[in-house]
Amino acid sequence: MKMKLLGALGTMALALTASTAYAEYPERPINMVIPYGAGGATDISARTIAEPLGTAVGKPLVMSNVTGAGGATGSVVVQNAKPDGYTMLFARVGSHSVSPAMKDTLPYTLDDFRFVTVYEINPVACAVSPSSGINSMDELIAKVNEGGVSYSSSGVGSLLHLAGAMVLNEYGVEDPLTAATHIPQKGGGEAATAVLNGTATFICTNTSALASFVANGQLKPILVTTAEPVAGFDAPTSADEGKPALEKLVGWTGIAGPADLPDDVAAKWGEWMGQAAGDQNFVDQMTKRGSVINVMTPEDANTFIQEQYESFRALVDELGMRIKG
Amino acid sequence: MSMIDSLLAGLSLVSNVYAFLALFGGIIIGVIGGAIPGMSATMAVALTLPFTFALQPITGILLLLGVYKGGIFGGSIPAILIKTPGTPASSATILDGYPLAEKGEAGRALGMALWASCTADLISNLALILFAGWLASFALSFGPPEFFALILFSLTIIAGVSGDSLLRGALSALMGLLLATIGLDLVYGTNRFTFGSPNMMGGLNFIAVLIGLFAIPEIIAMVWNPTAHIGKTRKLGKNWVTFEDYKNSFKSIVRGSFIGVFLGSIPGIGAAPSAFLSYSEARRKSPNKKNFGKGEIEGVAAAEAGNNGVAGATLIPLLALGVPGDVITAIILGAFMIHGLQPGPMMFVLNVDIIYGLFIGLIVSSIFLFLVGSVAIRGFKYVADVPKRILIPGVLVLCIFGVFAVNNNIFDVGVMFAMGWLGYFMMRNSIPAAPFLIAFILGPLLEDNFRQSMLMSGTDFTILFRGPITWFFWAATIITIIAIVRSTIAGRVKTTPQ
Amino acid sequence: MTAKTIHLRLGLLACAISLFLIFFAIPYWVSSPSNVGKVVLSPLFWPYTISALTGLVGILLFIEWWRTPPTDERINEPSDDTRTAMLRLLGMAVIMVLTMMLLPVLGMVWTCMLSFISTAFLVRTRHPVTAVICAVVIPLLLYVFFAHVAGVAIPQGDFVRLP
Repeated sequence: MKMKLLGALGTMALALTASTAYAEYPERPINMVIPYGAGGATDISARTIAEPLGTAVGKPLVMSNVTGAGGATGSVVVQNAKPDGYTMLFARVGSHSVSPAMKDTLPYTLDDFRFVTVYEINPVACAVSPSSGINSMDELIAKVNEGGVSYSSSGVGSLLHLAGAMVLNEYGVEDPLTAATHIPQKGGGEAATAVLNGTATFICTNTSALASFVANGQLKPILVTTAEPVAGFDAPTSADEGKPALEKLVGWTGIAGPADLPDDVAAKWGEWMGQAAGDQNFVDQMTKRGSVINVMTPEDANTFIQEQYESFRALVDELGMRIKG
Repeated sequence: MSMIDSLLAGLSLVSNVYAFLALFGGIIIGVIGGAIPGMSATMAVALTLPFTFALQPITGILLLLGVYKGGIFGGSIPAILIKTPGTPASSATILDGYPLAEKGEAGRALGMALWASCTADLISNLALILFAGWLASFALSFGPPEFFALILFSLTIIAGVSGDSLLRGALSALMGLLLATIGLDLVYGTNRFTFGSPNMMGGLNFIAVLIGLFAIPEIIAMVWNPTAHIGKTRKLGKNWVTFEDYKNSFKSIVRGSFIGVFLGSIPGIGAAPSAFLSYSEARRKSPNKKNFGKGEIEGVAAAEAGNNGVAGATLIPLLALGVPGDVITAIILGAFMIHGLQPGPMMFVLNVDIIYGLFIGLIVSSIFLFLVGSVAIRGFKYVADVPKRILIPGVLVLCIFGVFAVNNNIFDVGVMFAMGWLGYFMMRNSIPAAPFLIAFILGPLLEDNFRQSMLMSGTDFTILFRGPITWFFWAATIITIIAIVRSTIAGRVKTTPQ
Repeated sequence: MTAKTIHLRLGLLACAISLFLIFFAIPYWVSSPSNVGKVVLSPLFWPYTISALTGLVGILLFIEWWRTPPTDERINEPSDDTRTAMLRLLGMAVIMVLTMMLLPVLGMVWTCMLSFISTAFLVRTRHPVTAVICAVVIPLLLYVFFAHVAGVAIPQGDFVRLP
């Protein structure tokens, strides 16, 4: 801290007079916007990669949490920022594939951003309270058909909201929106608590959000949406259950800039991400929390997000979940 | 493992210099962070988090807890000195702390804030250690209907902070409720009063509203009449808090601590409502009722006891259930997870040494807080001696920086200014600001829990009366309302000459 | 201004706000999906409830005004000169608006220096030299603290960037 301060003061005179025209990107700290609050999944992921990434970039990364409206407030800051590569966004599945697929009211579309990478994939799991007496998806579906089943989410347009409806739809529940009640909560932590205290019957969310509850025996996992099993989650995978369509249902974190981000800046980010993700410490910390590290090139990231968005959008239209007005 | 073994294991974990150094350093960071408006305890904790990655788990977590506890107390310093709560929890401290400072008794108010904070902190920590398991299972029986009843009851605090006119207090509260509806609808995700602006979709930032409502009106009032303060003594004063003061307020402090423990152990309520509830209870029970809001030392004591009582108790759902009660505990939960610890029932079995290490550290933290706080008060006292017409522009600039830093958004600075003019209008028309603030915090909770209850039951209203907890709070609400109505009518008979 | 006149003014205001909300603001600015089943679940339910209560409080304030006997007890000490005081208020409003407009252009530090100086002179400080020194030093100190210790991305302007 002290070093940083001294260094900063020392370069003050230089920076004030230095010409900016021919300098190479980056020549000053980069502002990284996190559109969710401190302590959340995106925040922890962003701050974990910030360390190796900062080393790769060679300039400080300034982390700014801009929260509100399910990630929309922070995303708009980057949408409207100058496309000079000094304002970048940690985009998340909720803000950049579920919300655009679901909300007509969203102040941005996917076309307003240029993705430079997706670096982390989070499997999704569904869980119930052990006291509910439900032990498998089939038992849950049977209960849904009886009525009175509900699921919690961290808000309208979140991954959890879509996941609950998508899973029920895949298991052949007709009109999942009325068969099961969606009870939105104010955040991911509250959503898990709602299942703990019996407010909602089940929850489908990232395994990292459920890991400690599952380890403590407070929640019982009944489905993992990846084809591969997830450590610590003793539940059938989508492959076991024969539902390959559910593999689209994963969380991810990526980095994006405004739509007009120049090519050379995007290429730089590709380079840096390659270096940062090689950091063993980073990989260990992320995998410990149940994430899969998989650094995508800008092109791959765009295809990946576009595909997920299309499939979510089709589902939203099929179920009539679109939010207008 | 027996209790003694666990204690010894815990002792061996914390019995190195670093654990205590971390705790002490954390409290210093917290007090300073809390004392800077907009920085708040939350941000101080978030900023310290990365430093804990490299530390031993117990050392890192004690560091964060130190910052948290220091921050909650530190917030009272600017609340008393410049009417700007450093952290939302200290907004109730303004009600009597700032009038005391205006009377030249800032030192006494700050001293009382520290004593009350440390006492409440100790009680809260003891409650955590002794009743964690019991309170945690109690907290889990709080679903939306129970929350609805509890919050409805908490809204009756408004009567206690309305000052001399209940109607003006009610009007203030309604304005708070109204502004809190701005943003996206919880259940349907549609827009409410957002005018299509992405900034409005997130709702008005709470801290921007808070600072706008308390600090900015002071600035505008000074602009209206720049010489109003001349002739009034406004110094830290020779007066220091006496043991007599402490003894007289002791009942309120203990009551406030228990209110804090109770509300803290239920996730999702937070420290600010607890401080207000403690304050209004103290006022209701006090023989000096009339003096509350005009510089009553017991008011400061009650408010600070209420918010510090929460600090230890929020760890109850965190440790026993793995459920964070507010943003700060959510960050601390992140620290646990980074070290591979998973709070919850199993932690009391698998990592019992860490649990007891934390308990020992927490007890010590109350003492450290007292030491650091005493020094901090002496350090900050010079603020009270700054000429007011230099101080006021300084406060303005500080608020601009601080409010921006909360959410990195310039829009929030605009919200703060707009709220400042609303606050000034309210000040001129003797509308109290505290009910507005309470309603702004509790209104969305009330609505959300009501609608969640309705979703659960398929709009069957009987769910709101589904168990003993709801019955208790409904009864308490009705009794309080009857008491308020009766005392209002009694007051009217006395004043109306008919 | 006495307590009685305040009650009258606030009563009128509360009723006006209530009517405005019920007949204009809520229908136009709160959207509700067409498929809402039950009234209590509608996004409109809560705003309407609050508006109705505001109207009720307005009426009660009227009754209070009616019942309060006139007194000479005055609230708010008047300023020596209301006209210049009003002008100063207007000045403060202008400072705030300018601050908001300049923040993204000049950056937070330079804007705050200007706000500090103008506010200090608006309240006719007795220490003009100290005020100018503080106006320069305080925003810089805050910048160093927030940007380099707290790691906040304090907005920089388009002209002179601080390190």
